[in-house]
Amino acid sequence: MITSFTPTIRERVQRIETMPAIPAVFLPLMKLLGNSAQEVALDEVVRLVSYDNTIAAQCLRVAGSPLFGLAQAPKSIKVAVLTLGLRRVETILLTCSLGQAFAAKKWVLDPAVFWRHSLGCAMVCRRFSEKLATADPEEAYLAGLLHDLGFMVNCLAFPEEFTAAMERACQEGIPLDEAERATMGFTHGETGEALAEKWKLADDVIEVIAHHHGIEQSQKAKPLVALVHLSDLLCRMRGLGYGYYERHKVDLIADPAWAILLQAHRDLEGVDLVRFTFELDEAVEEIHALVSTVFGTASALT
Amino acid sequence: MTLLTATVVPSVPTKGVPAVDPVYRQIRDLVYKVSGMYKAEEKLYLLADGCERRMKQLGTKTPREYWDQLTAQPSRDGELRQLLNEITIGETCLFRSQPQLDALRKVILPEIVAEKTKQITRRLRIWSAGCSTGEESYTLAMNMLEESESLLKGWTVEIVATDLNDRSIETAKAGIYGDYALRSTTDYFKRKYFSAVDEKKLQVRPEVKKLITFSRLNLQDDSKMLFMKGMDLVFCCNVLIYFDGASKTKVINHFFSNLNFGGYFFLGTSESLMKLNEQFHLVHFPGTIAYWKPSLSSGKL
Repeated sequence: MITSFTPTIRERVQRIETMPAIPAVFLPLMKLLGNSAQEVALDEVVRLVSYDNTIAAQCLRVAGSPLFGLAQAPKSIKVAVLTLGLRRVETILLTCSLGQAFAAKKWVLDPAVFWRHSLGCAMVCRRFSEKLATADPEEAYLAGLLHDLGFMVNCLAFPEEFTAAMERACQEGIPLDEAERATMGFTHGETGEALAEKWKLADDVIEVIAHHHGIEQSQKAKPLVALVHLSDLLCRMRGLGYGYYERHKVDLIADPAWAILLQAHRDLEGVDLVRFTFELDEAVEEIHALVSTVFGTASALT
Repeated sequence: MTLLTATVVPSVPTKGVPAVDPVYRQIRDLVYKVSGMYKAEEKLYLLADGCERRMKQLGTKTPREYWDQLTAQPSRDGELRQLLNEITIGETCLFRSQPQLDALRKVILPEIVAEKTKQITRRLRIWSAGCSTGEESYTLAMNMLEESESLLKGWTVEIVATDLNDRSIETAKAGIYGDYALRSTTDYFKRKYFSAVDEKKLQVRPEVKKLITFSRLNLQDDSKMLFMKGMDLVFCCNVLIYFDGASKTKVINHFFSNLNFGGYFFLGTSESLMKLNEQFHLVHFPGTIAYWKPSLSSGKL
């Protein structure tokens, strides 16, 4: 059923003139993310931050926020980058550049909720990967950040249908992808895939965007898709969901994704999932603070 | 060209969390390893406070010195117990964990009711194991009463509350609580299920008490544990942390047998079973975790 819908979705996504182009700093940034922190040149990061005035201003604002406890706001981008650390700067840059690509007025989802979930998932993906010797934390981080790209497309291309799906999900307390399938006949996986292809993102990231709710359809990147799927579920159970109560229980170890991940990373067996869950709670507050500093208050955007 | 290395990037303090001596992180890990209780970073100050109160009593000067007392024989076991007492003190109150109650009413009860209705059973049995002075038992009873006109209409609910300590049980039976124990109880519940004893204290009404049987039980008494049958839900908060590995495994295995298929086992909010029982499935609900004994129909046994 889904396959027969796909061309229509792709056509609709491609047809929309307002569909954003890939943000200019996005690809160079992703390239930077591929390198380890030791190899990244500070000057290069400063150049990317300074490329766009709005992003530069946001970076300075975040660096000067109480979150980082500085006595005074940093005066230059270079100081801001040094204060925040490379990972935070990457996070802010990716978030801001993506945020800018989508017109704020068209959001059906509260953008603060969306970013908390996306950044939360990215953070969980990175931490999860760090526990597995052969996983790539930076690749996982990026995949986590982008996995729900389709929601942004939905807001632009299918606002009415997506509003109905969102309302149904909230009312019934069911997962959003289930509500999308029931009301729209397709999910953010398919719409996200269409935009990711248009943007020519890496194949593995496209698979994550397309199949994180249908892992069996993934072809080449099954372990990464599994990791993002599990991290996504964990986020939604630990205060970084879509802003409503999901009435279901999540059994991560019995999830088919767990077995797939275990096959690729045998050391998953030694991961203490409860302790990992408790550790994640430590980062939730920081993510909330980061999102409110980057975007101001949620209401300013809606 | 400047390289952005780990040495140039300063670590960023987490908002609102004062810096703590790194020894407390070592103590946190030790407490977790021995008891299964994990104090997350933002709650580390609670652990540090507890340690400092103990240090004051013992006349210990530095956290490092206290670490030695926690790890060296012969003081080790006794001191760890004292510390656990300190860090769980004040956690007892009614409506202690709203995420647990939400999971119970929004997800678990509908599931159990659907499952049991198939078997034409209309009886729900809940066990508050290590009920202390009754706060948890009454919270559960009030929440079940809230469902009695909807989901649980026509059902019999029975709450078995047990504790090792006779004095605690007497206090629990009286059901009289002050502001501190009632700090998380909403006015709605206070009005509906309590009556005033005096200006400062409220007493649980008889219709709530009717649901609960309080009795003394030692969780390590195997013969008695075998009789606790047919439970749909078991709550055991901040009790198992005091047990050594072998006793803990034994008690958890009892709980598993005491539960019906499809039943749930809840611990305190920062507690974990670690891997002491492989038959229970660790399950997540929004904001909370529980252990599930899979139902026969789930095919996950």
